[in-house]
Amino acid sequence: MDQSAIEVRDLSVSYGSTPVLVGVRLSVPVGAGVCVTGENGIGKSTLLRCITSLQRADAGEIEVFGGPPGSTPEFWRAVVTTVEPPTWYPGLTAREHAELVCRAHGLDPAAAGVDEALERFGIAGHADAIPPSLSSGQKQRLTLALALLRPSRLLILDEPEQRLDPEGRAMVAGLLGDYLADGGTVLMASHDDAFAAAAGTGTVSMAELHAADAQ
Amino acid sequence: MTAPVTVGELRRWVRRTQSTHRERGERLGNVYFAVLFVLIVGGMVHRQIAAVVWPAGPNASELAGDSLLVVLAGGLYLALRRLGPLALSRPAASWLLTAPVSRRRLLLPSLWVALTGAAVAGAVGGLAVLGHVAARPVSGADGLLPLVGALLGGVLLLVALGAQAGRRWAAWSDHAAYLLVGVGLAGLVADSAVGAPRADAGWPAAPVVTALAGALAVVVTVLLLLAVRRLATTPNERILEAAKTAGTLFDSAYGLEPSFVTEMVERRYWAHRKLRSRRLWRRVPVLVAQDLLLLRRRPRRVLWVVGSTALPALLANAPGWLVGLAVLLGGLTAGGVTAGTIRIDAGNPVLLRLLGLSSRQAIGQRLWVPGVLSGLWYAAALTVLTLIGDGPAGPWWALGLALGPVGAAATMRRARVGFVDNGLMPLDTPMGSVSTGPLLNAVAGLDVLLLGLPTVVQLTQGGPLSWTGVAVQAAVAVIGARAYLNATTEADRVELSGR
Repeated sequence: MDQSAIEVRDLSVSYGSTPVLVGVRLSVPVGAGVCVTGENGIGKSTLLRCITSLQRADAGEIEVFGGPPGSTPEFWRAVVTTVEPPTWYPGLTAREHAELVCRAHGLDPAAAGVDEALERFGIAGHADAIPPSLSSGQKQRLTLALALLRPSRLLILDEPEQRLDPEGRAMVAGLLGDYLADGGTVLMASHDDAFAAAAGTGTVSMAELHAADAQ
Repeated sequence: MTAPVTVGELRRWVRRTQSTHRERGERLGNVYFAVLFVLIVGGMVHRQIAAVVWPAGPNASELAGDSLLVVLAGGLYLALRRLGPLALSRPAASWLLTAPVSRRRLLLPSLWVALTGAAVAGAVGGLAVLGHVAARPVSGADGLLPLVGALLGGVLLLVALGAQAGRRWAAWSDHAAYLLVGVGLAGLVADSAVGAPRADAGWPAAPVVTALAGALAVVVTVLLLLAVRRLATTPNERILEAAKTAGTLFDSAYGLEPSFVTEMVERRYWAHRKLRSRRLWRRVPVLVAQDLLLLRRRPRRVLWVVGSTALPALLANAPGWLVGLAVLLGGLTAGGVTAGTIRIDAGNPVLLRLLGLSSRQAIGQRLWVPGVLSGLWYAAALTVLTLIGDGPAGPWWALGLALGPVGAAATMRRARVGFVDNGLMPLDTPMGSVSTGPLLNAVAGLDVLLLGLPTVVQLTQGGPLSWTGVAVQAAVAVIGARAYLNATTEADRVELSGR
């Protein structure tokens, strides 16, 4: 069965009088990996924000797993996104943030592999640091580690390779490949074609998504 | 080789260039509005200020006077340390601190401003102590007490300046100041408890005041000379930090947005702590475990909260309704120890989405720790109040515990209020228009405290407390907190505020 994880039809968004998305269509089947590419300002992040219901579209329809994207706990248990950066809890270390996320999903932190995840993302040495004290690259690693640590069915990532060094990119690409292999769905925006290819996602340019409407 | 430039030239050039971009008369307009603002606010509150600083007759004991002096000195020192005390404006910190100019000349104007501010604050403090304690008419030498206050303010500033330069005793001086505030508050509470008699007509002793003024003048002069000599060695990072503080305070005042300051204070507190990751306690819901961990990491804050249970006793002789309101307000300080997490969730729900909990689950769990804390605080405060003030008999501790849910719900509401909405319609009053946004934010949380009305009524009537009274308060508190939870959260929504 070819059920859709994401279905976007005729989506239009404009900022003031500047149209950013005009009649955009996108379909991502369950288990597929799609990477949206395109130059700055073409509307990649806006598209991802609309799909995660973090931004209201002017027109068009969006379905995620057959229903409207929402702010219900069920939606956010199925979907993880890094479209918006988190504000970290005061007085909680990086490791404790990871444990908190696991416990909230009913997982045993040790069984869920908190320490392995921090190790894999190269931040095990900073497990006792409070996240605001980490470098921007380390914060990005922590955000991705938390996103991949908890169970989910759909990952929506905005330029996950951003601020990562080449080793970090390769590692994240590998993890995204594993996520897809386990049956998860990935939608991301990226400027790095090689990263997208390494993650095993198909590439589609924003221009094509717009063009789909023009045909 | 480039010709050397003086700070004065640079500053003049910046001012001149800025003024060419301003419209003619804009500066004059700003001055006009500033003067108008001071006149209007002064007109509204000058009687209250006068009553606080210089009451019609002396109304405090010698012990109260000495204690107040100690509290004000400790408080002023801590305030100066938080402010820097040596600061530059943010643009000056970015551009002039890194320029090849004389550091001493760059920092001297800031030193004079800080010194003047500290001296004025000290003088007002001295005047207040004199006004509350000394018999009228004030005799000649006693009139020097404001001067002593001003000189003491100067000494405190110069000591804080030394601490800012990163001397080894800096942390100790902070502890000493905290101790002073604690001792002074204890003195005030003791004064209220024993109902100490008014000070003798001879207080303060004229020779003591004169000698203090002379000694402090010498100390200020010596410290000032040292400070000016060492001014250039103040480390850059300390000045940068103070510049950020000054900038945040300015933003906060300009935007009437106190949350900027709260956030800065919290960020700095954690930035200077070394933490070790701990396992979250498994036997309780996950967010309760997080709050407990946070509580464990703020021992000094908890200590202050414990100490503050004695403060309502300061009002032991005030009307019952005032005592009641003060007690209710105090519960917010106890509940607020762990409120930082709610502020984060209310401002940016990204982590809540990652946790996948509904807003009802989240707030339901977050109510527990503030509820227990404020319940214990209320119980202790009411017990101390009745013991010290010889209040009517009854299970006051139980009434305090019954107030726990009120404190928790009020803390939640206050922490969730978010940024000030400056787009709301201003309110026209005979004294001028008042913005409603900051006003609404200021009262958020206090409205929920109205659930403690049975306690206020009980304290106003002053009769013995019955178990029925406790039961009524408990029922109102539990039903109110439950209604708050149901009305402001959803089982099928993650974000704390509806969109």
